[in-house]
Amino acid sequence: MNPVELLGNIIEVSHSNLEITSRIKAVLSTMSQGMDFDEAIVFTSDQDKRLTCKFKNPKSTLYKILDRYRCYIGEGIIGSVAQKRIPQYYNNKNIPPRFGCLFYPELDSLVEKYKAFAFLPLSDDSYIYGVLVLCSSGRRFITDAEKILLSIISREIGGVLRINDLLLSSKKRIGELATLSELGKILSSNAEPQALLKDIGLIIAKSLNALFVTIKLDHVFLRAEPQRYTYGILDQPIENYVNELEQEALRQKKTVSLRNHGQAEDDISSKYSLYATPIMSKNRILGTITICGGRSQRDYAFEENSRYLINTFANYIANGLENTLLNTKLKDVIKDLNNAQKRIINQEKFKSLGEMTANIAHEIKNPLVVIGGFTKRLAKKMHMNQTESRYIDIITNEVLRLESILNDVLNYVKDTPVPDETCNMNDCIDEVLYLFSSDTTWDHMRILKMYDKNLPSVPCDIQQIKQVFINIIINAHEAMNGEGTITINTEKTIMDNKQFVVVSIADTGGGINPSVIDNIFNPFFTTKERGTGLGLAISNKIILNHDGKIEIENVVGKGATFFVYLPVKNHTNREELL
Amino acid sequence: MNGIKILVVDDEENIRFLFKEELEEEGYQVELASNGFEAIDKVKGTKFDVIVMDIKMPGMDGIQALNEIKNMIKEQPVILCSAYGEFKQDFSSWISDAYVVKSADTGELKQTIKNILNI
Repeated sequence: MNPVELLGNIIEVSHSNLEITSRIKAVLSTMSQGMDFDEAIVFTSDQDKRLTCKFKNPKSTLYKILDRYRCYIGEGIIGSVAQKRIPQYYNNKNIPPRFGCLFYPELDSLVEKYKAFAFLPLSDDSYIYGVLVLCSSGRRFITDAEKILLSIISREIGGVLRINDLLLSSKKRIGELATLSELGKILSSNAEPQALLKDIGLIIAKSLNALFVTIKLDHVFLRAEPQRYTYGILDQPIENYVNELEQEALRQKKTVSLRNHGQAEDDISSKYSLYATPIMSKNRILGTITICGGRSQRDYAFEENSRYLINTFANYIANGLENTLLNTKLKDVIKDLNNAQKRIINQEKFKSLGEMTANIAHEIKNPLVVIGGFTKRLAKKMHMNQTESRYIDIITNEVLRLESILNDVLNYVKDTPVPDETCNMNDCIDEVLYLFSSDTTWDHMRILKMYDKNLPSVPCDIQQIKQVFINIIINAHEAMNGEGTITINTEKTIMDNKQFVVVSIADTGGGINPSVIDNIFNPFFTTKERGTGLGLAISNKIILNHDGKIEIENVVGKGATFFVYLPVKNHTNREELL
Repeated sequence: MNGIKILVVDDEENIRFLFKEELEEEGYQVELASNGFEAIDKVKGTKFDVIVMDIKMPGMDGIQALNEIKNMIKEQPVILCSAYGEFKQDFSSWISDAYVVKSADTGELKQTIKNILNI
């Protein structure tokens, strides 16, 4: 065939719309017929620098045997052409046995019939895509003109392979981008970490066509047992390799693969490709992600340069997990803050229960006295008929009724009967202390609790008793300027043949000035700048109303101890005790 | 009752006015002060037979004023007159001569004054 015509045919098929494999096969077929070659075979190189027999002309017989073998760049004639990128031409006299490669023992008998051989690199300026192997039985040599033609054809095939490569890698990139975008979507969804990890495994496995994806999270990170989330099937014997690889990845703090790891048995490493990467955020290790693919030709995603992709996944996951965790933490903190706020409000409420009611009643009472007082004066000064006097009487009596209601409010402690229900003072103290637990002015306070575990319960109005302990504890806190030790002791005791529970609250605030100690239970007596002087007065009232008493032991220069005595049975059933 | 001087100390103008009217009607000479400081000033210039003292007042409260006045004139009779009823007992036995719960019915106050004056 005319070389120009041949080249025209070849360019026509190589630029056709056919699928890549068909295009190359058509080029090889056209060329073998047009130039009288029995064999026209294309070896392609992969990322591991391995040359594999991939395309052939329809008549090829060598293909059967070559297809079973691989060689690396540099090995034999094919490997050296790929390495040096220089065409090699041989005849049946000078062709090295087995194409210079030890691994093809059956080859020699098959190539005996051929007389001329050509090995041409399929490359461009920067990259080798493969090697074209040509054998002819009909011709003895290849002319210089034919060599030029062959070099043009091999460049053409190289171009097709290059386009194929670009196509595959751009498909791969698009797939990776889609995966990353899906991951991004999931990671920004604020889902719980567990749900998140299941979805991540699924997406990565689907996009990479992986056999399984397994994410193992460190227990430190989850504050629980280490947890594993796997998409796909992870079982023996590969599970052992996964575990080892994960350890290795954590140790090296970088991506490791089964091959690099070097301990894998051959059958495992030839069947699977396994990559493990630590999931790290701000130098903190959160766990590992391990991806497993089968080692068939189609699983291109698991070739060496996928490391960067797996690293990217790991970074994405680390950031996503950190965000999710921060979110969860934030929710916890908000919950804690809300609780703390509620406690502080409660604390204030308890603290000022008595004082507030007293103050409000007081404020209302003054104008009421004025209204009632002048109404009476009006009645005295005016000469009124019966109807008018009746009106005045109604006003006067209603004012007196309101006054008596206010007196009841102001006397609320005295008039509240002690309920029948009983409470344990250990629990009561704990509940009171809880009110201060989130108060930062209590940060330097030490609370020592020495409870009698068998403390009997006492009949009491728990809210009132809490108020007493709150008053005493707040005074202790203030006496120590927020820094010191409060020791709370509970025990049983017998006084006058009656059983009492005694709660002692001791502070290290230097004690009470002896000149004021006699007055501290007196109403409106206070040593504080902003005190109302009602706290201990009301407390004393409450305890007296419970048939108990408060005593003080004062050591000047050291501290004060308040003893609160509460009877185990109130006086109505004292006989039962006796 | 002529010549018996009473000092009413209260921060509420209308209460002062009410007590003044009621007590003057009984024949007493009534002077007024609106807080502890004013009360002490008055006591320094005049001898009162009885002082009626509110507790909660801005500036100087009744308890402080009572203490200062007692320090100046130990035998000065002072009646505490407050809306708080709860601590009546404590006050009676503690520092004041008497404790009266403020009321539209001024009968108790008048009677307490009489008791202190022995009339």
